[in-house]
Amino acid sequence: MMSANLEKLMTAFATALNVDIQIVQDDLAYNTIPQWDSTAHMALIAELEDIFDIMLDTDDIIDMSSVAKAKEIIQKYGVSL
Amino acid sequence: METDLILSGYQVTLRPVTQDDLEMLRTWRNAPSVSQFMVSQDIITPEQQTAWFKKVSRDPKQLHFIITYKDQSIGAANLRVLQGADLYTATVIEPGLYIFEDKYRANLLTFAPSLLLNDFCFNRLRVKILRAVVKSDNEAALNYNQKLGYQVVRKGALVEIELQQRSYDQASKSLKGLLSRPTKRKNNDVR
Repeated sequence: MMSANLEKLMTAFATALNVDIQIVQDDLAYNTIPQWDSTAHMALIAELEDIFDIMLDTDDIIDMSSVAKAKEIIQKYGVSL
Repeated sequence: METDLILSGYQVTLRPVTQDDLEMLRTWRNAPSVSQFMVSQDIITPEQQTAWFKKVSRDPKQLHFIITYKDQSIGAANLRVLQGADLYTATVIEPGLYIFEDKYRANLLTFAPSLLLNDFCFNRLRVKILRAVVKSDNEAALNYNQKLGYQVVRKGALVEIELQQRSYDQASKSLKGLLSRPTKRKNNDVR
């Protein structure tokens, strides 16, 4: 069963990228679908920061190039998934 | 071409191309991942590369940079004067860049060198217009430039796009914010 935080993360992706939550899979990556462009990436960062009450640093914003990577990064900020 | 101009910001550094970079640049430029988006796909020989460097080194209307991120060379950038005698009297400039490293090509970081170049052109050189020409099938580049505030001024096999400061400042504000945040460094890192 999916943890509450993982569900929040998937929902954040679906909201920011304006896509169905079903396509939010680990291998979904930046710029591989038209919806995940730089504007959506900025919205995604804002959404994640808001939901998890964290402040991502620039290295992590740059590294967040896929859903899998986002999971890894979010956990560095003390969020358990 | 100025040889001591270094631009730093948004996590990247642009340093002038030197003789030592020529073979790396030639390898990058001849790679299909880069050459497919160039107007010419001809393979560049070492002799042509050397001749090119000699020419641009003496040209006050051009600046060529290597883009570095975390001390790694990841791509190349340039500025060419389209109207004006040199960079410092230019009113119209054409910026250009490519990222060679796959890891950084589909990444928000690709905006960083453009932000640096555009800031330099608008704020230091006081350029009125930035102009670029993009192949019409290069949707990634067209979208990329649109995110920076460029407007299409002529459509065709080559699409002509232009950027003015007001549009750039408005379009780039959020990107600049994200790429200007402090980075976490390990305690033993030397800055």
